[in-house]
Amino acid sequence: MSLHLQPVQVATDSDDMESQLVFDAGMLVAVLVRLSSAHETYAGKWYLEAGFGRVDHPHPPMFADLDEAQAWIAGQLTLHP
Amino acid sequence: MTPSSTQQNPLIAKLERFGPLSDGDRAAVQGISTPVEYVSAQTDLVHEGEKPRGTLLMLEGMAYRYKMRASGARQIVAYLLPGDMGDLDVGLLNHMDHSVGTFSECKVAWIKPEALAGIQQAHPAVASALRMSTLVDEATLREWLLNVGGRSSIERVAHLFSELLLRLQVVGLVTGDSYKLPIRQEELGDTTGMSTVHVNRVLMELRRRGLIDLSGGSLTILNRRDLEALAEFKPNYLHLGEWRAA
Repeated sequence: MSLHLQPVQVATDSDDMESQLVFDAGMLVAVLVRLSSAHETYAGKWYLEAGFGRVDHPHPPMFADLDEAQAWIAGQLTLHP
Repeated sequence: MTPSSTQQNPLIAKLERFGPLSDGDRAAVQGISTPVEYVSAQTDLVHEGEKPRGTLLMLEGMAYRYKMRASGARQIVAYLLPGDMGDLDVGLLNHMDHSVGTFSECKVAWIKPEALAGIQQAHPAVASALRMSTLVDEATLREWLLNVGGRSSIERVAHLFSELLLRLQVVGLVTGDSYKLPIRQEELGDTTGMSTVHVNRVLMELRRRGLIDLSGGSLTILNRRDLEALAEFKPNYLHLGEWRAA
């Protein structure tokens, strides 16, 4: 599986704006937002702002970096083939 | 028993909102409020699956009812504040269907079914107020269901803070428009069905709008009218009667 990232800015009504759209084979599967310094211990982590289909999650996780986020998203996409 | 000792009992304060109690009624309520136990913060008072110990009565501190998924994900379904009780008829159950945990250190009492039945029989005014209290618990649960299913992130938190202000006022735990809120962001998230990230954003936005200040474990509502308007807060479900207008 090859995920493709596209940088965007998301209006989260907060300082969290730096974001990445995550595509799988041209389909949008997730939106990741980088947490601002306002989140203190979580600052700098990537948060699953939105996940679509199999990437949707009731307790959206945070990731240390984009590699970790992509590995998790890839895992979700292959969870129930 | 001195009058001041009954005034300090939050259950008496709460039940008197639902109707007048005689000195005898108050003494009887005071009587079932002992013996007391102190429980540390972040401790389970009740575990799902275990046999009920009796009806829980909250005397000090804050606790919560919750359900847990196998994954460890938790949904908090009620807050138990001083004067609040567990289910009156819990004695009919063999197994608890939910758990109760503490936010802060709590002072509680466990009321035996026979003691509760005795007071309900001998003190009809207390019995009526206890039934009213159960109705309010059920109405609050309905309101919370609407909160997680039908309100936006910021509206959910605004509604919760508005409700707590009124409920804590009843038992004398509000100074001005401030009260102690020993609840972490992740617990607010588990209450409102939101992630800690969204809770943090919402708290910042409520501060930015000049509606609240949250520091040192205390919440101050800076603009009650606007906070309640944001939440569409209608306190009718708390059935506080004429108290609110007083």
